[in-house]
Amino acid sequence: MERKMKLTINDYKTDVWVDWCPGCGNFGILSAMYQALADLQLEPEKTVVVSGIGCSGKTPHFVNVTGVHTLHGRALPYAEGIKLANPGLTVVVNVGDGDLLGIGAAHFVALGRRNVDLVVIMHDNTVYGLTKGQASPTLTRNLQPKALPKPNIQDAVNPIGLAIASGYTFIARGYAARVQHLKELIKKAILHKGAAFIDVLQPCVTYDNIHTYDYYNKRVYDLQEEGWDPVAKSPEELPQKAAQALVKSYESDDRVPIGIFLVNPNVPTFEERYSQRLPNYLKIPPAREPIEVGGKPVISIEKFKDLFKKYVIELR
Amino acid sequence: MIELRYVLGGPQGGGLETTSEILSWAFSKSGYGVISDREYFSNIKGRHSYVHATVSATELPKHLSYPVDIVAAMDAETVFTHFNDLRDGGYLIYNSDDDSVNYAGIPSMEKDLRDRLGAQFKGLGLDGTVRSVVKYLQNSRKARVVALSFKELLMEIQKREGIVPSQASRYISTILVGAVAAITDINEESLDYSLRRRFTREDVYRHNKSMAQIVMGLVKGQFGSELKLEQPRISAREFLVASGNDAIAMAKIVAGVRFQAYYPITPAADESFTLEEYETLSGEGSLVVFQTEDELAAINAAIGAALTGVRSSVATSGPGFDLMVEGLGWAGQNEVPIVVTYYQRGGPSTGQPTRGGQSDLLSSVFASHGEYPRIVLASGDHEEAFYDAIDAFNYAEVFQVPVIHLVDKFLANTIATIPMPDLNNVRITRGTLAPKGLKVYKRFDLSSVISPRAFLGDYVMWYSGDEHDEYGHINEDPVNRINMFDKRMRKLDIMEKEIPEERRFSYFGPERPDILLIGWGFVKGVAVKAIDELNSEGMRVGYYHIRAFIPFPRESLTKLTKEVEANNLVAVEHNYMAQASRLVTMNTGIMINRSIVKYTGRPIYVHELVNAIKNMLKGSTREVISYGA
Ligand SMILES: Cc1ncc(C[n+]2csc(CCOP(=O)(O)OP(=O)(O)O)c2C)c(N)n1
Ligand code: SF4
Repeated sequence: MERKMKLTINDYKTDVWVDWCPGCGNFGILSAMYQALADLQLEPEKTVVVSGIGCSGKTPHFVNVTGVHTLHGRALPYAEGIKLANPGLTVVVNVGDGDLLGIGAAHFVALGRRNVDLVVIMHDNTVYGLTKGQASPTLTRNLQPKALPKPNIQDAVNPIGLAIASGYTFIARGYAARVQHLKELIKKAILHKGAAFIDVLQPCVTYDNIHTYDYYNKRVYDLQEEGWDPVAKSPEELPQKAAQALVKSYESDDRVPIGIFLVNPNVPTFEERYSQRLPNYLKIPPAREPIEVGGKPVISIEKFKDLFKKYVIELR
Repeated sequence: MIELRYVLGGPQGGGLETTSEILSWAFSKSGYGVISDREYFSNIKGRHSYVHATVSATELPKHLSYPVDIVAAMDAETVFTHFNDLRDGGYLIYNSDDDSVNYAGIPSMEKDLRDRLGAQFKGLGLDGTVRSVVKYLQNSRKARVVALSFKELLMEIQKREGIVPSQASRYISTILVGAVAAITDINEESLDYSLRRRFTREDVYRHNKSMAQIVMGLVKGQFGSELKLEQPRISAREFLVASGNDAIAMAKIVAGVRFQAYYPITPAADESFTLEEYETLSGEGSLVVFQTEDELAAINAAIGAALTGVRSSVATSGPGFDLMVEGLGWAGQNEVPIVVTYYQRGGPSTGQPTRGGQSDLLSSVFASHGEYPRIVLASGDHEEAFYDAIDAFNYAEVFQVPVIHLVDKFLANTIATIPMPDLNNVRITRGTLAPKGLKVYKRFDLSSVISPRAFLGDYVMWYSGDEHDEYGHINEDPVNRINMFDKRMRKLDIMEKEIPEERRFSYFGPERPDILLIGWGFVKGVAVKAIDELNSEGMRVGYYHIRAFIPFPRESLTKLTKEVEANNLVAVEHNYMAQASRLVTMNTGIMINRSIVKYTGRPIYVHELVNAIKNMLKGSTREVISYGA
């Protein structure tokens, strides 16, 4: 379908009521999403927002592009299936920290290793929002947000560190209250070729009375403003760059860095790796390929015998 | 002779597969039907493994039976494990260098078997050496013994072909080939064809050929060819010789699969490996075979892919399927066509990872929380599995439901001669698709039970695991709930109407049988053979084969069972509970009170099924059969 007019932010909004708690950090993330999509003029049909389960999981219903609201922890496999079957689609994943780093942690690591051209936006509110405030994997030990009956007994995972170790090729952190900054991160992540991860600090105004807007406002600073160049210009430069980014990812108590930690353009995407093996993969991806002619298989019996000749025994 | 049976045994990783392949190809090249089951431990190297085969001059066999005409042993353990499997007057091929090996000193043998053998040897007055067992077979069981010194044969081949000693042991598999070829008088051209097929490197081919000839010369000099099969009477110009895994992979490619996700698990993984071999579809397009981090990812990636319009599937076994169940429910809720090829093995838990079973039927039919329609197909043999795999994709798309295709380890790892598929009658039906250019597209449009499907990329649409409205948005309204739920569940009625009853079962045997066996899956081949044997003795036994559990073949089964005395209905299954019989009751109200079950992980053999049915006639209601090493 040809589109004459430029799409506006409103074109990317559905009329579904956004039922997050008033003041929730998710609003900022949603707002940044609308703006990024509009800035990039992404075609709604060709753009897919995939989510898992949780407050963040509802995101696709609020965005007027194709939305796939999946299972708790499994958004990444869905997204990978979609992208690998049809690499022509732009796929953006919105997931919670519990979703991504708790139940879905294995998928998080695996996506990094593959470098599929996807964007993962993690709504990092340090709690399980939709199940009423239990500790998420990003909550620091000994903290006790108000829903917890006892202080948190588990240590927090370092999402940026884990993303570095897993092989993500674009790694950033945003803050839900810095919408313009986040919008730019999302745009860069979408334009990046490869697996992009954005950890978004997202105040949960209902259950997390510790990581409030006030808390973050006092602490966040922009890495780029302080001159951090995240790009590993060559494979040789990666170990050092990654190590420095990792050090930055451990800054947290008083100063919380946001911005781009690491970009590694030296790794082929998963799609490119498939194209190496499957010459027509990008030209005619699986989803674009005919499988029948007039109701019959494209594989004729002659073709069948030729293809599977190692199984055929011809008798005299 | 019109039917030949043999067992080839040796240590896992010792070249048994090569022996089996060469023989299977050689027999089928000469026009005989072959089936050969592979039994092995969950082990890579060293434990006892064997191949059990039937070769037939009159049919493409789908059954296995004991005793066998030949036991060919690579090692002493095989002699001990299988000497009882040999018929009186049958041939034992073994390594005479092992003569003084005692069963008690074989570390790879499980203690249970050792204890049982110990008791038996004591009873027979044997000292437990290979020599003593061989003598016993010769004297008491009239066995013909082909004693070959493998050491001498290997020295001979080293000398003749200038092979370095460290490489010589590779030729042990060909020693067995040569010996079996000699006593069965395999057509030499066919054998040569097999050797060439197997050993593509010219020198390796030459060495193997030479080894086979040395052995054939030796054996033919001592024995005639009593086990020569009659001229084949099967009218075919070509066969496929393939395992169940491979047959299904081929079918999936014909069906147009373009995405398969998997996480390695026995005995399913070989299917995905085969698909990967053909991923370029010889240059035209591409088939993405995606090895995921676990089964959770596999099913959900496959569902994601299916949303884009590709034919998409997974292949797995029990533990993997369990992990997939949540995803299956999402597919049910979202009306996604997805095919799960389910290779059953012995459970529960990791159970018997490399053995067969049919104990996941109820789990397939009921798996998942909530209610949603699904289709469950079950294949009885390689040929059925081929066509069922294609139907699975068609049904998935036509009805927009997940389809579970049940097979089992017996099928997966059994290599069989399969008739060349008839692709003329194969149809690809993609179901109702949304036209292009619509102003508004509602993925779950309620104006029809099966809403036209559009692929991601065509229109904006939403999917959600939550109950949703016509657009796919979350909706908890009670009226919408009923409408959406009914829309999904009504597919059961449509499936019931549109999938012909004949497609869901087959029947073998006389009209109005006195005894009716009811089974499914790999039971088919053995049951058909068993009733033939019984009927030729003057009995009237029929076999009703269930090929689809959802939708269930209610009418035909109800009709047939009415004609049989209630007490003469017998379930034959590879599980403890006779699971299919419970589904029969659930679907028809008919109780099946008798069962013949086997859950050792080994297939049911003709002889034991025949015996079990005869025991039933004496009044037993449950037979637990257990033959096989
Ligand atoms: C398999 C499974 N287990 C548990 C749940 C229950 N559940 C719903 S939302 C949720 C927590 C989500 O937390 P998070 O991922 O941090 O997202 P948030 O709600 O904070 O955005 C859980 C555990 C579920 N839906 N599925
Ligand atoms: S519970 Fe927390 S995360 Fe969920 S909507 Fe409310 S404020 Fe947002």
